[in-house]
Amino acid sequence: MTGGQAVLWVLALVALAFCLRRGPGVVRRVGSESGQSLLKILPMFAVALPMAAFLAELMPADAAVAWIGPDSGFMGVVIASLAGGFMPGGPFVTFPLVLAFSKAGAGVPQMAALITGWSIFAVHRIISWEYPLLGWRFVALRMASALPLPIIAGLLAELVVEVFPITLGVP
Amino acid sequence: MINLLRRHASLLVIATIGAVAAAALWRRDGGDAVGRALYHAWDLFLFIAPSLLAGLLLAAALRQLMAPGALARWMGADSGWFGLSVATLAGTLTPGGPMAAFPLVLVLAGAGADRGALVAYILGWSLNGFQKLLVYEVPLLGPEFAIMRTLITLPMPMVAGWIARRLPIAWEAPK
Repeated sequence: MTGGQAVLWVLALVALAFCLRRGPGVVRRVGSESGQSLLKILPMFAVALPMAAFLAELMPADAAVAWIGPDSGFMGVVIASLAGGFMPGGPFVTFPLVLAFSKAGAGVPQMAALITGWSIFAVHRIISWEYPLLGWRFVALRMASALPLPIIAGLLAELVVEVFPITLGVP
Repeated sequence: MINLLRRHASLLVIATIGAVAAAALWRRDGGDAVGRALYHAWDLFLFIAPSLLAGLLLAAALRQLMAPGALARWMGADSGWFGLSVATLAGTLTPGGPMAAFPLVLVLAGAGADRGALVAYILGWSLNGFQKLLVYEVPLLGPEFAIMRTLITLPMPMVAGWIARRLPIAWEAPK
């Protein structure tokens, strides 16, 4: 178990202790909800992880370097931000794919930009949820307010990794 | 049937992409390469399983402990930066996917939140929603990267909400 995993478990146990103070029924609900989420998430992982692994094998080792590698700089951040907006599906697709990209040579700041671009622009989510529920004015308002944020996130990450050598994925 | 397809659409898309990629890999490198990739995927799953379990438990416990909708009365048009930060926090605390978050926008609007706060709310959820962070990003990409990205993007929903309050795009909740 890594340090990060240990911290996560400590946080989970503290939160469970707070639930226990509210009564054993609350803890039981937490247990059954976690089980339900696990049942929902496992099929997604069962499909998404092999897909990402196949793509990682297929991608030549330096395929991503030229476009979104660590030295691709500002253009790489812009490309990654845009690409993030067109990533299909939820987090169970995006995060394994980011892992595959980084194995193929993508840079850390570029991946921060990609995740931010996906979070803000995710086209599929706008089409299937935001537009039908809230209307195009809300979409326009949100897009206009948030347009440059993925690029800013990538540039800030670039500054951070110059000081702290952060890497992507599991050691 | 159509409902079933819609609910599982992304799963089907991913499965299709995965199957095509597996076939392409088989043709290029043979069955061994496909087996190796599957083994890598299994290995990755074993590695993230402890974080995944802890993340699910923590997410479920937090869901029991707080209710994002209760914060709406501090999110009005005159709430300033405080309202924007409350909205961002509420977004970060909102569990679940778009089927949970977007309907809550309507709830918050009904309870008095203005457009800037709603923009901050949605961005807080989509950028740093705790469930996505705990269940996917930390296990898969590692805590160092997840913490860095979260810290960088933490103030962004508030900035976007501040801008949204100044944009000449009026929005009213659809009835």
